Amino acid sequence: MIRWDVIEGNLPLIAAKLGEHLALTGVAVGVGLVLSFGIVLLVRGRRRWVGPTLAVFGIIYTIPSLALLAFLVPFTRLTFLTAEIALVGYTLLILARNLLAGLDAVPADVLEAADAMGYSRVRRLWQVELPLALPLIVAGIRIATVTTIGLVMVTALIGYGGLGQVMLRGYNFRSDSLVVAGFVLTVALALVADLGLGWLGRTIAPWSRARRAGA
Amino acid sequence: MSVPGTTPAASVTFDHVTKRYAGTGSGDRGAVEDLTLEVPAGRICVLVGPSGCGKTTSLKMVNRLIEPTSGRILIDGRDAAERDVTELRRSIGYVIQQVGLFPHQTIGENVGTVPRLLGWPEPRRRARSEELLALVGLDPATYRDRYPAQLSGGERQRVGVARALAADPPLMLMDEPFGAVDPIVRERLQNEFLRLQADLAKTILFVTHDIDEAIKLGDLVAVMETGGRLAQFGTPEEILASPASDFVARFVGADRGLKRLALSRVGDLPHRPAPTVRRGEDVAAAVARLDVPADYLLLVDDADRPIGWVPRRGLPATGEIDEGIADATSPLFDRRTTLKDALAMLIDAGVQAGIIVNERGAVAGLCAVEDITAAAGRPPVEAPPPDETPPPDEAPR
Amino acid sequence: MELLGDVARWFTDPANWAGSNGVPIRLVEHIAVSGLAIALGGLIALPAGLAIGHTGRGELVSTAVAGLGRAVPSYALLILFVPIFGLGFASALPALVLLAIPPILVNAVASLRDVDAEVVESGRGMGMTEWQVLRGVEIPAALPSIVAGVRTSAVQVVATATLAALVAGGGLGRYIVDGFALQRYDRLVAGALLVALLALLTERGLTALERRLARGGPTAAAGVEALGQPA
Repeated sequence: MIRWDVIEGNLPLIAAKLGEHLALTGVAVGVGLVLSFGIVLLVRGRRRWVGPTLAVFGIIYTIPSLALLAFLVPFTRLTFLTAEIALVGYTLLILARNLLAGLDAVPADVLEAADAMGYSRVRRLWQVELPLALPLIVAGIRIATVTTIGLVMVTALIGYGGLGQVMLRGYNFRSDSLVVAGFVLTVALALVADLGLGWLGRTIAPWSRARRAGA
Repeated sequence: MSVPGTTPAASVTFDHVTKRYAGTGSGDRGAVEDLTLEVPAGRICVLVGPSGCGKTTSLKMVNRLIEPTSGRILIDGRDAAERDVTELRRSIGYVIQQVGLFPHQTIGENVGTVPRLLGWPEPRRRARSEELLALVGLDPATYRDRYPAQLSGGERQRVGVARALAADPPLMLMDEPFGAVDPIVRERLQNEFLRLQADLAKTILFVTHDIDEAIKLGDLVAVMETGGRLAQFGTPEEILASPASDFVARFVGADRGLKRLALSRVGDLPHRPAPTVRRGEDVAAAVARLDVPADYLLLVDDADRPIGWVPRRGLPATGEIDEGIADATSPLFDRRTTLKDALAMLIDAGVQAGIIVNERGAVAGLCAVEDITAAAGRPPVEAPPPDETPPPDEAPR
Repeated sequence: MELLGDVARWFTDPANWAGSNGVPIRLVEHIAVSGLAIALGGLIALPAGLAIGHTGRGELVSTAVAGLGRAVPSYALLILFVPIFGLGFASALPALVLLAIPPILVNAVASLRDVDAEVVESGRGMGMTEWQVLRGVEIPAALPSIVAGVRTSAVQVVATATLAALVAGGGLGRYIVDGFALQRYDRLVAGALLVALLALLTERGLTALERRLARGGPTAAAGVEALGQPA
């Protein structure tokens, strides 16, 4: 069944592809965060723009990844950039929606008190709104990360693919061991990210778990 | 525990302040119409009225959470509109009904918010935080590191007050701060608030819809009516004794005579002399001492403490009085008992007069039902002139 | 630009509309495999989801399915299945069925859980059997949300069916994969446009249908958790 010698022999490839997978995911979520953050902050003030912005992100999200790559390739060719543009595109809707929901969830009386005490808009955002939005933001990062890990494989078409490339190699060379290895590692990576970020989300907000210890 | 207030209290003046919202006429909700009043430094001014009368809007124009359409608001003579809004707000304490504590910060950090904005060093912030928590009745060691979600409504409200006081502002704005707690907690908070104010003498603008709270807490009361107009501005006494319009009379309530009684104390009235007879004293001597004929004598002990009433009829002409026939039904008052409470006690006991005693429990005089009802009908006592601070031992109402 | 011209020409070339590699055939293949996958997936997921939601037991299964649904890449499933089922739609169908299951299952469970417990209790109290409670009380109340789950699943499946072409399957993805392989950008972009259009139309159309079914009420698909997988 599983031929460990084959796996052992391909360790350099597996390691390299794991690294590539991590890089593709990390850059995508990172850039996605910065972009969605910036756009949400711009759009938040003018409420009318929120709907159309989310709608655009939604359209990108709905377009199958294969198609998105196809749109990009004539322009940016078979590069890391192409892969990243596509991957970043899919994080935008998730991150933006969660960021908005998190900011909207800050109670109105907290905002009023902050204004009345003399917080400037910028300080209020950094010290009051974002910390309180953090649980939802982390939840968004969690979903975006797991989703991206799954999407990376499609970039094999343009020469990347991360751990998916290991699977494809196994497929092409009829090595079940490599196919399984690639598959298991991908799923494991996604599960680790899911559980790890889930734990982060719970620990990052100690105040939400503190409850009345009885009057 | 008294905290020395280093910042002198500020006066607040509304000068023809108007707020209109686009698309509404001047009679609509949330608008304020030509509000003019002056609050001297160190006083509590309560804005009271039905919902939609503009009291909260007026309050929020002071720290510019809402900007006036026309008119000026002067703080210590300076136009609030000319000051930098962030700097202005950091110099005004603000307490709202839902408090608005930051859920993600500890109580200690919450209290230290404005000091942090002003750049105080951490040790000073901590010390000030703990000082203020103790001042509002919360043990710093217990509460400093807790989160708002762990506190009850009353505790949170105290933290809100502590937070507003942190930077020792010359002016405080309070918007229905005690509205969200149950009546027992509310009364306790009100009493502690008055105690605090006796120590700190801040200028406070206080908004409430509850006329009883306004009368209890305010040095000055501004009654506002729907449409944002000022219906009457004066001391609680003036509002109760001489309502300026039907609206004010109705808003104050039909029991305003009784409400007025809550503002005066037994000590404010001249005492009736009590017809006392000492234990062991001769009856004839006691009777001879009386200025006016009395049907009852008050038996007292050697320290002049009251034992009970003795009917004059049926007493022997001379000799001692038997203690056993003394009837101890009269309620006891001291100088600070409010007339309203005194009247209630007399009605409960079913007697005409109560006995006023001093700190040692000795009889100082009598207070009769007719004295109290006479007081209810008197014209209002005048408010002290604005530049006079109240004497320190004047009991908070 | 040149590329636009090439793409336009591709669309106007009648050869691309005829025969087994023509747009109509590919479109039909795409929709057929998607529809079949949704139907089969629903057949498995709906009863399971309703059972879990109604009894309240086995919620762990639902959570696990949801987690796996996100963690497993669809392309990987295709590669896994080829040695077992063979190339083309033979492998694509099982992969798509597996993909269709999580949204339907999770939504069914959540929607039943959200039904007002008091209403359910009063149903039982009136003497309804468990089956009657499910049919008469819970499902009607949960219907909008269940439909939302089916809609999410359908959009996801239609989009992912594009990948069938990666393992020699048909469907509209064929143009994209061939375009990559042959370095023919006109076919590549034309295929991408067709696929994108189909995915968007499916999403818009099913959302509108869902709103009509739910009689205009907003569906419970709030929050990002209810989003489907990007394909």
